[in-house]
Amino acid sequence: MSHRKNKAVGLAAFDRSRLTSAQYATHGSALRSSQASALETQLSVFRSLLQQFAATHAKDIKSNPTFRAQFARMCAAIGVDPLLASSHESSKGGKGQGGGDSMWAQLLGRTGLNDFYFELAVRVVEVCGETRGENGGLIEVGMVRERVVRGRVEGMGVQGVTEDDILRAVGTLKPLGSAYSVIKVGSKQYIRSVPKELNTDQSAVLEAAQVLGYVSVSMLMDNLRWTRARAQTALEDLVGEGMLWVDKQGIEWEYWSPGFMLEGDHPLEGFD
Amino acid sequence: MSTTPPETATSSSTPPQTSTTGTTTTTTTTLLPNDTYPFPREFFFPPFFTRQTNLTTHHAQLTKWSTLLLSYCRHHRLFRVSLSPDVLPFHNPRINRRLALADIKSLIDFLRKDGRAEYVPLGSGSTKKDGSGSRGGGGAGGGEDGGEAFIYWRTPEEWGSLIESWVEETAQRGSVLTVYELREGEGTRGTEIWGMDGDVLVKALGTVVKRGKAQIFQSGEDSLGVKFF
Repeated sequence: MSHRKNKAVGLAAFDRSRLTSAQYATHGSALRSSQASALETQLSVFRSLLQQFAATHAKDIKSNPTFRAQFARMCAAIGVDPLLASSHESSKGGKGQGGGDSMWAQLLGRTGLNDFYFELAVRVVEVCGETRGENGGLIEVGMVRERVVRGRVEGMGVQGVTEDDILRAVGTLKPLGSAYSVIKVGSKQYIRSVPKELNTDQSAVLEAAQVLGYVSVSMLMDNLRWTRARAQTALEDLVGEGMLWVDKQGIEWEYWSPGFMLEGDHPLEGFD
Repeated sequence: MSTTPPETATSSSTPPQTSTTGTTTTTTTTLLPNDTYPFPREFFFPPFFTRQTNLTTHHAQLTKWSTLLLSYCRHHRLFRVSLSPDVLPFHNPRINRRLALADIKSLIDFLRKDGRAEYVPLGSGSTKKDGSGSRGGGGAGGGEDGGEAFIYWRTPEEWGSLIESWVEETAQRGSVLTVYELREGEGTRGTEIWGMDGDVLVKALGTVVKRGKAQIFQSGEDSLGVKFF
């Protein structure tokens, strides 16, 4: 007995430590709950302020893209996604009192901003679908915006659509378990509509291709210090995914980013 | 269509990056011959002229080419194109890219599936009555230059209906019209019928005949007449 006590080893030691950790846990949860209730209070205060604000400025939020973006940014800064507010909370096990509709839907009515983003999301899905064959399901956000604006839908103030709006619209697809996600390659943001991860080499190639529109094996070897085999593999993988197009009519094979087809040249220039 | 392997065997001295860039991407100095057609952006995308190895990409490529060719021909009112890598729109002199003959043929085959193109039968081009005769020689050069294809930005059926409504509108049902006067007469001047390719016109009339709404007959030595019911 004493033997064991001195050394403080054996089964009793486990009991003791279990006891201590239980105490810690109790204390911890007490702390947590008090913090949580404090936060909850803060949140509800914030909520009502936000509601007031949104109600007062509903019209501006709907009609003015800059204002809308700022409002969205403000919400984001405080960690509230107005579009997804309710679904987030309910998934966390639910303090949220709003069932079903998002905060925006509650604030601005069913036909408000919420619908704006859902309609936009539909357009985004269409654009991604239309162009998937040519870009392998990876398209720059700016390009999506351009196409959405070009093919403007009636009754939708698409001319005021910003890239911010596009990203938010993609966000609305998330609860649907969609494969749509936003990824950043180099300096540009892309919408990915196929559930495919890019490996680091592939990202590096796509990033390199942003500079001139294309890359070649030797460019990758020179600039990234890759071996020929590595460069070749990365390029062929991307061609295989449909994310690069090959031009075999140059001095060396060039692998082009389909995004450059759209940004591209100036078709009409120099024709007359 | 080229099956050349990627240049794994290029000289180990890698060409400096700048040398490849200047020539291919921003060749703004080369002008296309005067052409009023507003070419789409893909026309200035170099890989657009190389057959894509990825099947999905290739399909997208063919679709874009189809749209381009149909709209190019519609713009210029071309009824047939010469299947040659050296002519517009298969050649873009500004970026120095050409669609290979085999790829042009894939494109035509792709259009044929939709009834939007048809090969001009070898040797029949200029001999046919009222043929527009843009094919001068016989079948001799046909094999090499790829010949010609009709491009149906309007299908013969569509042309047929168009002609039929014109006949209806001008109250000429029952009267005999010659193919010549349809193509070049005063009556059709200012309509879309005027200046039609002779072969396409005859095909168009043929579709009306098939519907039992017209009859074609020989009128005179080398011309056709048509009567709408």
